[in-house]
Amino acid sequence: MKVTFPIESTLAQKVWNSFERELDHKLRALPDLAREEVKLELLSHLYDSASADSAVLEEERFINAIDRLGAPGDYLEPLVEEIFLAQGTSKGHPSAVLRSLLAITRKGIWHLALTALFGFGYVVAIIVFIMAVMHVGDPDVGVWLSPNGSVSFSFEFQPNATQWMPESFSAMGIAASVALYWLLSQMLGRLIGKPSRDK
Amino acid sequence: MAARLESFFGFIAVTTSSDQMIDRWIPQFKKGLLEFIILLKLQEGTSYGYELAIEIMKLTSIELAEGTLYPLLNRLKRDGLVTTTWQTSEVGTPRKYYEITASGTETLEKMKDYWTSTHTAVLKMVTAK
Repeated sequence: MKVTFPIESTLAQKVWNSFERELDHKLRALPDLAREEVKLELLSHLYDSASADSAVLEEERFINAIDRLGAPGDYLEPLVEEIFLAQGTSKGHPSAVLRSLLAITRKGIWHLALTALFGFGYVVAIIVFIMAVMHVGDPDVGVWLSPNGSVSFSFEFQPNATQWMPESFSAMGIAASVALYWLLSQMLGRLIGKPSRDK
Repeated sequence: MAARLESFFGFIAVTTSSDQMIDRWIPQFKKGLLEFIILLKLQEGTSYGYELAIEIMKLTSIELAEGTLYPLLNRLKRDGLVTTTWQTSEVGTPRKYYEITASGTETLEKMKDYWTSTHTAVLKMVTAK
């Protein structure tokens, strides 16, 4: 969303540009969409605040408005940290994943169900990964298909059942669990860092 | 003389340590209180950052660096207590409006209960001699 704010004096425009550059610098680590949204919200605030200021000179009104916003580090750093939480989740950092899951549970009953679904997905991914690694040392660990058609993930030999792909279980299990973990983290990251709607 | 000096430096030490304590305590107190106040304001209707900052300062006389509202608003959004919508028009500043959610209203009711039960008790302790 590209917006131009009408500024009359050259000096006021310089003050504005300087603040905009500072925002760009402090928010540079954020993804484009998140950075633009934070920037636009703060610039809109600055413009509203300056418009309500009683100083005669336009540049003075902007300086006063910047001053009222406070030290950029005090509000931009926590903001960036919050947004990074969503990014960390997308990258699959375990602590960010846990914090995101907790944050989603607080959003209501549907989100609680969603958390349970995500949680189940992560548990499956972790169990499959552990089993795939254990299969290297203990070939009985794996997926077993019983004659009645049921499938079981087992850590021991299953009589009357056939093991599913015993030769390639380790490689497939590790690849599948990593892929599932990545996919879940991407989805969770998008869910927690969902940008605002436009009207 | 030595006793006077000791008393003087003791006074300075106490003042400094109490000032440090207050400097640490006020931001923590304000932070918790601000989330409550933001939700109270949003219960009255949707609002945007600048308007919230002005209203909060006017109503509570809390000295506030306006920018510090944004990390709080962002966290309320992340926790699902508020949602946001951009409103843009041909004329005027684009504004990001915050709206309290059902979960936010539920949380606010619990905050109000907690506030009511504790503030009377704390007030009694504050005014007790």
